[in-house]
Amino acid sequence: MRFLRAFFVAAFVAAFTLFFADRVFERTLPHCLRLADNFSPQYLLRTIDAIDGNSVVYLGDSALWGYDLPATEAAVSLLRERGIAAENLSYEGGSPANTYAVLRLLLAARHPKAVVFNVNLKEFNAADSAYRKLYPGVETLVWPALSAGQRALLTPTRGPTTLDSWIDEHLAQVWKLYGMRADVRYAIFNDVDAAHALEAWIERRSGAAERSAAAHVPTPDKFEGTYDLSPIDRTNVSMAFLADTVALLREQHVRAYAILTPTNHRLLHDYVDVPEYGRNLETVRHVLEAGGVRVIDYDRTFAALEFIDNDHLTAPGNAHLADMLERDVRP
Amino acid sequence: MDDRGPIHPPGSRNVRDVLATDPLFFLVRGAVRLPIVLGFAVALAAIAMIVFGASSESRFIYTDF
Repeated sequence: MRFLRAFFVAAFVAAFTLFFADRVFERTLPHCLRLADNFSPQYLLRTIDAIDGNSVVYLGDSALWGYDLPATEAAVSLLRERGIAAENLSYEGGSPANTYAVLRLLLAARHPKAVVFNVNLKEFNAADSAYRKLYPGVETLVWPALSAGQRALLTPTRGPTTLDSWIDEHLAQVWKLYGMRADVRYAIFNDVDAAHALEAWIERRSGAAERSAAAHVPTPDKFEGTYDLSPIDRTNVSMAFLADTVALLREQHVRAYAILTPTNHRLLHDYVDVPEYGRNLETVRHVLEAGGVRVIDYDRTFAALEFIDNDHLTAPGNAHLADMLERDVRP
Repeated sequence: MDDRGPIHPPGSRNVRDVLATDPLFFLVRGAVRLPIVLGFAVALAAIAMIVFGASSESRFIYTDF
């Protein structure tokens, strides 16, 4: 009897402490400059909820996210530093399908001042990893809102429901810290978890990171097949979602800008400096402009030295991009 | 007559008295305080495991470069 009583007291104290800590956590978790590598659906909804009507929201892929750079050096973060109300909802592994999905979630809850998204021709290639796939957390949230036609274009990333996945999903709904654990780790360690952060620190201190970067200098052959130069039409999944994005923006009367993604033409000369690439870019531009989206063409604006690889900008490249966006996007 | 003398000479303290002044004595005293500490410790351990634990979340592989 005494043991049973002690057990219930311990269980009650543990539950109360977790509940109290969760309330504190919910109020104190900061809004990060950009989404984590592995952001949770709960964190995405929380970020969308915090967006006000004066913000310009940036959607898209790693080029806008600030690939391989600290969050503070991404172009959108630099705009925020300059006092411009900008929210970065882009993420690594983006694509037109992903942009559309996040836009659906955004416009279901908020009406931002403007939306800026990047269009990257490499994502119109069926071989691209995100061509038919939504980021799993986004897929969880948006799937019920998609039409049957849109779902048919996508390959679901979620497997059948198992006991594990059921518990995980329901636990994440009631326990915020658990649901947003990936975002918390990113906020604290600036990496996926403590072990990876420690490993990265050791690699930096030992010079291994520098040696690895030197050994992985991008060469043109690494991008063979990255861009599909077949004519883009409505059967292309990315084009279908791009058209849906444009239609949704028009329907909701949202001021919109589409950035034609900065591309390293010196590196990709053999693959993209051909008439087919230009024609595909024009096709995309036509769809955007016909729907009332203002096109900002940065395809050839940046010098080769401002790129890390084919389409990701260095820190100075991101600073240059921030300058251009400040000039071209009306706040 | 017991000639062993008092176990605790006047002015001395027995083991229990010494322990009772220890700041951690509450951990072992009483049937209620120990569970409280235990429950609190379990909650903190759970939070620490979540914050410092290894990431096992999955997403499709990002294959850019």
